[in-house]
Amino acid sequence: MKNLRKIVEEFSCEYVENYKKIWIKAKLNSKNDLLTLANALKKEGLRSLSTVSPTDFLEDHIMEVNYFFEDLETKRNLWLKIDLPRKVEECKVESLTPLFPSAAWHEREAFSMFGVEFLHHPDLRDILKSEDFRGVYPFRKDFDWGAHEKNQMQNIQQIVDAFKKEQEENEIELDPDSSETMLNWGPTHPASGPIRLRVHCDGEEVISIDPDIGYVWRALEHLVTKKDFVGAIVAVERLCFMDNINSMVGYCMAVEEIADVKITPFASWMRVLLGEVARVSSHFMGLGGFFNNIGLHTLGMWNMDTREFFLDFLESYSGARIATASIEPGGVRYGLDMSMFDELQKALDKFDTTVGEVEAIFVKNPTMKLRSDNVGILSKEDVHEFGLSGIVARASGVKTDIRIDEPYAAYDELDLKYITQEGGSANDRFMMLFRDIKQSIEIIKQAKFHIEKAVAEGEMNPTKDHMVKVPKKLPKGEAISRVEWARGEVLMHLVTEEKAKSPYRLKMRAPSFNHTMMLNHLLKGRTLSDIPLIFGSLYICQGDLDR
Amino acid sequence: MLKILDFFDYAKSESLWMAHFCTGCCSLEMAAAMGPRYDWERYGYLPTPTPRQADVLMITGLVSKKILPALLRTYAQMPDPKYVVAMGACSFDGGPYNESLSVIKNPTEILPADVFIAGCPPKPEAIIEGLEQVKLKIKNGEPSAASQGGLWKEMEF
Repeated sequence: MKNLRKIVEEFSCEYVENYKKIWIKAKLNSKNDLLTLANALKKEGLRSLSTVSPTDFLEDHIMEVNYFFEDLETKRNLWLKIDLPRKVEECKVESLTPLFPSAAWHEREAFSMFGVEFLHHPDLRDILKSEDFRGVYPFRKDFDWGAHEKNQMQNIQQIVDAFKKEQEENEIELDPDSSETMLNWGPTHPASGPIRLRVHCDGEEVISIDPDIGYVWRALEHLVTKKDFVGAIVAVERLCFMDNINSMVGYCMAVEEIADVKITPFASWMRVLLGEVARVSSHFMGLGGFFNNIGLHTLGMWNMDTREFFLDFLESYSGARIATASIEPGGVRYGLDMSMFDELQKALDKFDTTVGEVEAIFVKNPTMKLRSDNVGILSKEDVHEFGLSGIVARASGVKTDIRIDEPYAAYDELDLKYITQEGGSANDRFMMLFRDIKQSIEIIKQAKFHIEKAVAEGEMNPTKDHMVKVPKKLPKGEAISRVEWARGEVLMHLVTEEKAKSPYRLKMRAPSFNHTMMLNHLLKGRTLSDIPLIFGSLYICQGDLDR
Repeated sequence: MLKILDFFDYAKSESLWMAHFCTGCCSLEMAAAMGPRYDWERYGYLPTPTPRQADVLMITGLVSKKILPALLRTYAQMPDPKYVVAMGACSFDGGPYNESLSVIKNPTEILPADVFIAGCPPKPEAIIEGLEQVKLKIKNGEPSAASQGGLWKEMEF
């Protein structure tokens, strides 16, 4: 930590300060220092650039760009800021992609949404936003959404025309005598969901893949700025429905940090419990999806059955199976009736009775092993360079798990260990998912036991302790929070203004973004039949890919 | 006594196949409806990967501007008679994304739906109930809403 601070202090900074336990927050005075500092950071071991998040300060005429550097090995992180002029023509900064490949798509996103131009970026094209936003920057505060929306039909026509033009160009560019083709894998392939992979292939062999994303782009980061702090959870939880609880936890932690509110032990234990239930139900879909993609639907069906029991618990607690909206700034939304734990016990029993069969038939399945063992191998180096997280990173043997690295809620009181696989292949990622479920079940059991014990001893009151009041208007401030989401690291960067009723800016860094970036890397030179397998093993959800 | 035409309508209604097309989050509950607990195959529903064999197009939740042309193309590829089911709040008025301007607030004005299923997301029981309504409509020999009108007829996609 000291070394890192020293490196940053060598440059001319407005301030350098420690933030939380494992972060250093600094603001560079000049954008010309950025590249030299980034070089020094990379040498020091901070090899991943988690995300790039611009904030548009309309009144100050400043575009503030936030960089989040991470070192997955020694857990030292740096939050770096620089100010850029807000004018589109002058809003330029040196790209960090040549140094940190993980930044490639994040810089493209910042470019598409805010118009920050990254000089010397190898591939600075629009991403996420649809064709009708070409040349305008929708997340800038002075962008007139209303006027844009009036021409809805023309906008759609623009999208159609662009698509047709692309297809025609493909026809022209490719040599008619060769066996090369451009395939559209999607926009809704049954094995994936709303994503389009432009697969350039020669016969069966894949030459390159260029994912076209944004088919479920809902501009969530913009949507939250129109809602109040509590109402924003509706948008935040729709990051992805498969594991919605943990994304709400991340957002609420950021709000609580700005409001300077500490939640009760009961609420933090409930956050652990609910979060793990959501994680398990998400992983069940992931396991099933993996097998579905290689053509065996039985595991998907079995998992769906077990998953229903976990959803039953969520339903008994919040009234909704999926869109629970049950985490709120200040704690958890509802009190707990201890009889609700009966549903949870049923789910745990169901899991215990079925896990043996699943392990014997599917996890140890020799055909699956043969098919997936040497496919889609990600090395440790790849994980660091491309900023991968969650089960994908752990499957390559990198010990990263935010529940342990930077414990939140009640995770510091739990008995947790890193679980990793060594190979980094598709098979290892599948195994990782399965082992992660087992670990989550253990956590659920521990949390349930702890809550029951504390309630019985009178330390917690399950009907009154669930909420602490959070003021409706927050002071000026900003905060970041990280949670270990089902798919990996979610980083929330929240900015508020004085007496704010709604967020000024919320950046959600979602793991699938980095994982989708890997498709080209993994599939180059492989055959078309490997696409569903590798896609399934990367555990991508379009919800958090597009946001 | 059943008339012969009635019999064809009856036969069509009892094996509804839907184009496997996910536009939004509601597809998660659609997957749950396929699962063992709700098991919609009991009622003759089956997802099919190609629109060429499908009878029903389900708008599963939000429709973004970017995916709408693909949705319309899928619909155009389906053989007649074809029906549209709109799932969730988003397909009615944008639902929770009502203020988001990349989401189309009136997808069913563009492609009219025969049945709306309420909820965000609708429960699997509701999805099955909604599809039963489509069955009734087919049994009664009613034409589908999208064949009667909608902006999609004037659009190029």
